[in-house]
Amino acid sequence: MISFSKVNKWYGDYHALVDVTARVNKGEVVVVCGPSGSGKSTLIRTVNRLEEIQSGELTFDGRSVHAPMSGSELNKLRSHIGFVFQSFNLFPHMSVVENVMFSPIRVNSMGKSEARDKALSLLERVGLASKAGAYPAQLSGGQQQRVAIARALAMEPPAMLFDEPTSALDPEMVGEVLAVMRSLANDGMTMMCVTHEMGFAREVADCVWFMDAGSILEVADPQTFFKQPQHPRAQRFLSDLRTH
Amino acid sequence: MTDLVAIISDNWLLLLVGQYPNGPLGGLACTLILSILGIALAFPLSVLIALARTSKWRLLSWPATALVYGARGVPLLMIILWVYFLVPALIGRNVSGFTTMVCTLVIYEAAFLAEVVRSGIQALPRGQMEAARALGHNYLGAMWSVVLPQALYNVMPSMLSQFVSTIKETTLGYVINVHELTFAASQVNNQLLTKPFHVFFILAVIYFIVCWSLTQLAEWLERRIATKRRGVSTVRPAVDAENIVSPIATDRPVPVRSIS
Repeated sequence: MISFSKVNKWYGDYHALVDVTARVNKGEVVVVCGPSGSGKSTLIRTVNRLEEIQSGELTFDGRSVHAPMSGSELNKLRSHIGFVFQSFNLFPHMSVVENVMFSPIRVNSMGKSEARDKALSLLERVGLASKAGAYPAQLSGGQQQRVAIARALAMEPPAMLFDEPTSALDPEMVGEVLAVMRSLANDGMTMMCVTHEMGFAREVADCVWFMDAGSILEVADPQTFFKQPQHPRAQRFLSDLRTH
Repeated sequence: MTDLVAIISDNWLLLLVGQYPNGPLGGLACTLILSILGIALAFPLSVLIALARTSKWRLLSWPATALVYGARGVPLLMIILWVYFLVPALIGRNVSGFTTMVCTLVIYEAAFLAEVVRSGIQALPRGQMEAARALGHNYLGAMWSVVLPQALYNVMPSMLSQFVSTIKETTLGYVINVHELTFAASQVNNQLLTKPFHVFFILAVIYFIVCWSLTQLAEWLERRIATKRRGVSTVRPAVDAENIVSPIATDRPVPVRSIS
């Protein structure tokens, strides 16, 4: 579904992604973890081309994302990739249901009443049907992030990307967002998640990628990764996590 | 006081509409028309200039930047005189003072307003544009539906100041014989000769009322939007809804509104 092949990215002199080669298969849940500054967010943002790459190839659903293409082709491609941000980025001037309806109407030319029905059923799915008329500022962080997930799902993407979806949340709100992500995974959604929630990784992930300094150092199933990490850097990372 | 009343009762029509219908429409009516045209044309133009100025294409950003720097660098009065004397020479026919005034005012004010709009666009967290693009919206669509509604709301106080200064700058029409309110007042003054304080006091009061009304209108609009999305947004500091109103209401305390 998503495949990286020798992907390199530089910020000026800084080598942010180093020869990344990996793939996310259809229906798979991949958790990307690693210390901060290791390039996890940069990596996930290259998938829908919020970040450009300088060399290598990245395909999504068989299409090369970074190949030269027109603006409208890129928009179309992006509309098929669900993306959830750390900072939610809901549109504060629109109500919750409008946030979810907005893109199906504008990007996919869906009819208004159809879009509203769809939005309401998605809000139901993330447990927020009662908040449809509220504005984002009236919601808690966890609720906002669930709306953001519903908003991304409204475009019916074949895969969802999560860029630290729970890092900006108070601890007691992490659970409700992870529950929604877990149910998505159970429904067979292809997911790539950058997260520090190791419990979620252990329980839901099919595969864990460990990154440091722009490279993927280890790819393993969660049991192996958490019990017997192979790479010394991964061992150190995990023991640092356990000490506190 | 009786002098004031006498001056108003003798000259109210002149102050209101100038020589009309025997001459051009002037006085307060002319000032209001100039102001409304100035604001109504400068505002959309300023959004376009701001978009051009923030554009990654130099073909758009350079001329917009040049216009802004040009307008900021010279006094409005000088541009008015330039246009008034130069444009007829260039195109070979007369241009009325009124047309000159509207065009100059629109370009000058749009340049200043564009900087206000640009500050609003650039102050908005990048995540808003990114979220819209990630959902598949094109740049202009995201700008129009996501960025601008928030940016313009956030800079309403500064835009209002610019609108008010547009109204006040219509007075400069006086120097190129536009029969606006100041022109009418000075006609009255020339007839009376001995009452300049009274006449110009009346003039000041009228301008104040016009500008103050606009301020009230903007405040009402802002309150309406703030009430609609009570508590405003998380992407802005939580105190903004209250603070953003206060610069306008300089002469009285801001009423405390509850945030739910």
